[in-house]
Amino acid sequence: MSVLQTWLVQALFIFLITGSIGVLLDPCGRINPESPVVQLGSNFTAVCVLKERCMDYFHVNANFIVWKMGHFTIPKEQYTIINRTAASVTLTDVTSLNIQLTCNILTFGQIEQNVYGITLISGLPPEKPKNLNCIVNEGKKMMCYWDPGRETYLETNFTLKSEWATEKFADCKTKRDTPTSCTVDYSPVYFVNMEVWVEAANALGKVTSDHINFDPVDKVKPNTPRNLSVSNSEELSSILKLTWINSNIKNVIRLKYDIQYRTKGASTWSQIPPEDTASTRSSFTVQDLKPFTEYVFRIRCMKEDGKGFWSDWSEEASGITYEDRPSNTPSFWYKIDPSHSHGHRSVQLMWKTLPPFEANGKILGYEVTLTRWKSRLQNYTVNDTKLTVNLTNDRYIVTLTARNAVGRSDASVLTIPACDFQGYLAESKCYLITVTPVYADGPGSPVSIKAYLKQAPPSKGPTVRTKKVGKNEAVLEWDQLPVDVQNGFIRNYTIFYRTNIGNETAVNVDSSHTEYTLSSLTSDTLYMVRMAAYTDEGGKDGPEFTFTTPKFAQGEIEAIVVPVCLAFLLTTLLGVLFCFNKRDLIKKHIWPNVPDPSKSHIAQWSPHTPPRHNFNPKDQMYSDGNFTDVSVVEIEANDKKSFPEDLKSLELFKKEKVSTEGHSSGIGGSSCMSSSRPSISSSDENESAQNTSSTVQYSTVVHSGYRHQVPSVQVFSRSESTQPLLDSEERPEDLQLVDNVDGGDGILPRQQYFKQNCSQQETSPDISHFERSNQVSSVNEEDFVRLKQQISGIPQSCGSGQMKMFQEVSAADAFGPDTEGQGERFKTAGMEAVLDEGMPKSYLPQTVRQGGYMPQ
Amino acid sequence: MDLRAGDSWGMLACLCTVLWHLPAVPALNRTGDPGPGPSIQKTYDLTRYLEHQLRSLAGTYLNYLGPPFNEPDFNPPRLGADTLPRATVNLEVWRSLNDKLRLTQNYEAYSHLLCYLRGLNRQAATAELRHSLAHFCTSLQGLLGSIAGVMATLGYPLPQPLPGTEPTWTPGPAHSDFLQKMDDFWLLKELQTWLWRSAKDFNRLKKKMQPPAAAVTLHLEAHGF
Repeated sequence: MSVLQTWLVQALFIFLITGSIGVLLDPCGRINPESPVVQLGSNFTAVCVLKERCMDYFHVNANFIVWKMGHFTIPKEQYTIINRTAASVTLTDVTSLNIQLTCNILTFGQIEQNVYGITLISGLPPEKPKNLNCIVNEGKKMMCYWDPGRETYLETNFTLKSEWATEKFADCKTKRDTPTSCTVDYSPVYFVNMEVWVEAANALGKVTSDHINFDPVDKVKPNTPRNLSVSNSEELSSILKLTWINSNIKNVIRLKYDIQYRTKGASTWSQIPPEDTASTRSSFTVQDLKPFTEYVFRIRCMKEDGKGFWSDWSEEASGITYEDRPSNTPSFWYKIDPSHSHGHRSVQLMWKTLPPFEANGKILGYEVTLTRWKSRLQNYTVNDTKLTVNLTNDRYIVTLTARNAVGRSDASVLTIPACDFQGYLAESKCYLITVTPVYADGPGSPVSIKAYLKQAPPSKGPTVRTKKVGKNEAVLEWDQLPVDVQNGFIRNYTIFYRTNIGNETAVNVDSSHTEYTLSSLTSDTLYMVRMAAYTDEGGKDGPEFTFTTPKFAQGEIEAIVVPVCLAFLLTTLLGVLFCFNKRDLIKKHIWPNVPDPSKSHIAQWSPHTPPRHNFNPKDQMYSDGNFTDVSVVEIEANDKKSFPEDLKSLELFKKEKVSTEGHSSGIGGSSCMSSSRPSISSSDENESAQNTSSTVQYSTVVHSGYRHQVPSVQVFSRSESTQPLLDSEERPEDLQLVDNVDGGDGILPRQQYFKQNCSQQETSPDISHFERSNQVSSVNEEDFVRLKQQISGIPQSCGSGQMKMFQEVSAADAFGPDTEGQGERFKTAGMEAVLDEGMPKSYLPQTVRQGGYMPQ
Repeated sequence: MDLRAGDSWGMLACLCTVLWHLPAVPALNRTGDPGPGPSIQKTYDLTRYLEHQLRSLAGTYLNYLGPPFNEPDFNPPRLGADTLPRATVNLEVWRSLNDKLRLTQNYEAYSHLLCYLRGLNRQAATAELRHSLAHFCTSLQGLLGSIAGVMATLGYPLPQPLPGTEPTWTPGPAHSDFLQKMDDFWLLKELQTWLWRSAKDFNRLKKKMQPPAAAVTLHLEAHGF
């Protein structure tokens, strides 16, 4: 009311002013800002600017400005005079949501004239929306929801934005009444990831939530399974079969289910184990149910992988399991009418109806049979729960069974004692005394107890025997004494055991045990053990049993023998491995390899023939290995001193040239080849060496050969040239290996060859795929409708065929780009191999070709 | 110890090398970038989903076109539908396509089909049909984006539409109403065939992106030496 008054005054004032000045609605000044929104708790400053003409008219300046908040005048301390026309006010810690702020001037000394007024609105900027999530109700549009954060006190707009990687969708603006959720106006596309975020904006700011990226199919809430129905089975009374109709989304995604059931009237639901219903289906058989019981079921479903939301629960459906035969017998009792006459008595038999969980169906009747002592049977079929019969005074046995549609229960047996039954109880006999309460509506549950008139010690002791005998322990066992010989309640047993010489030891054992373990026995000792059973009245010993503890515990021998054997085996293995690794050394020592000179070929020493393994100097180390078969000593001599030795031999050759006399001893001492071959030293016929078939003089042959040449370079190559000869003859496989290593990627040709084999193997089944695929492709040409009909079936078969096609193609693709090159490489490798094999034989022609050098 | 002294040492060394290289085998390292596998799987699922969608859409639309188009044994010759990209292809040719070409063909086909389909959308009579067509268009747009995503993952450039060949829907007066319907019929049929083919294409790609175990073994052997 007061506010209204203030504004009325202001309006009137303005009207007067305007009227007097002649300008319509022209206030005397202005407040800046005009419609401010400030954050709660912050400071706010407003400036009031007076107009010159007003100031002149009223004779005021900025010093005359008075700020008011509603009716309260703001203290002068909060004012700041900016200049003659303007003054500001600062409000600290704004806490009210809505403030009327006016700028007034004091005219004529005391009269407050309102100049201008503003409404200050305060609130909070929006908080970042949290927990953004979306749900796609099957067949409906997508709805996203979020947590908007704190109250802002201002009008806050939420905008849901969504986009694909390639495209933006229209914004979704929230409705005023649901500011925390928004339903987009397009159906989401499954299997395309989309990015969604929400933007909250008000006058104080704008914030964006975290972006979420998802596939709408992972946010699906399927429609509820429809038409749930329950049917029972006559074969099995413990099962019920549920059937339902899935929602259409089963064509797009796989589903899993949640099935709950309860007996009718129960309040808690039982759950079918989820793993049993983890795949798309339209029926399920629930097992382990009780017979003839009504169950209520409900079902819901969701995407198989658990992404998304459970559908709503289906409507409940109920069904009754089929009947089973009664699982229990009725409680049964009799009543004898005391007023009996001349040898007959009237007996009333009565029983209880079975509770439903035992009846397992509708009880159609009861069958009672009466049997007199060793006499004929009397049968009765009764619908009621009682039967009155006239009996003689003899003893009778009565049986009762309940019957339903499926079968009958086990028989309940009752003995009606003879009329003149007199009790006689013997001492030391066990009696079972049973007391059954009889209520008005029948018997209660009976209670039994065992009792003796008078106990006596057992007439026989228990027979003990060993169950297991160990090195230091023995497990004893015995049987419970038969009731006939117990003569009382067995309270405890005592076990006595002793060695041949030692004292007897006694152990008390509780009567409930039938087994006892004797421990800390001495090994390899004879023990005698016997046992006594005690009643309250005394005990009786049983027969003595002897056993001998073994010398070794079980497994002890094995524990010793096995490690020893293993150790031996290991040693042998290591020895063999060592011998294997050092076989060259051993071979050299035991049977050194003596080259057969008769197999040597003189031409192969040709100095022009490049040694195979010297193609690549780096591989020298490998070729060295080739010599192991010849003689390690030689090789070492060769390796270490090849150059000086050769130099020496060069000198020697020169000397020989001078002396013309081949000093075999000299050569033998210097030449590595001759050092191990005594036969060489024996050769002194230079000329005969030219004949390659001559016995063993190849050392001298070379010698002479070089002698006819200029003995400079050839001398070095002489020792070298022998290497490939020996290599190729003795270790052809090494040569190949060297070849393989040669190229650096030496293993490649072999491997590629293997790969080629692979791809060749795989191409063989290819033909059949091709044919099959052709059939599939022919479907392409068929008419559209048939395609439509088959389309659900074909892609699967197509897919499987395709998989095979793919495998074969992938094999080809994986190696495809290389196959041609491989082929070539393979060919060249093969060539090389052929060359390797042919090399030793083709040495002679080669030397002719290469240098024309021929042994003379 | 000389490595070549015995084969056993060589084998031991080989075994050690294999073990050493085992962590480096890409097939065994699943922690890193998942690669294009998931997006291809998604695209495959999408084609199957679209197939399913189209089945009901085509039924509705053909009913809208009326007889003889909605008759089950209607099999007209392909007249005037030459501008539509053809999905049927010789099997040998299809098999010999490389990944890039395969994806490019798919992308181009759907760009064209989408354009035609949008024309269909404008013509459709009932609101319900318009709505399902619009949703199908959006889905197809999604498929295009999906294919583009797979191509980007595999490092293939997107095909640039040639200026002038950009298909436009012209409900020209040259077409009689029947021929117009025939075009619509063929568009739907071609779409169905394309979706079927794409499912095969992406199934193939999907399997190719999971290298068979045998290749890993071979790879290891090569490392070992």
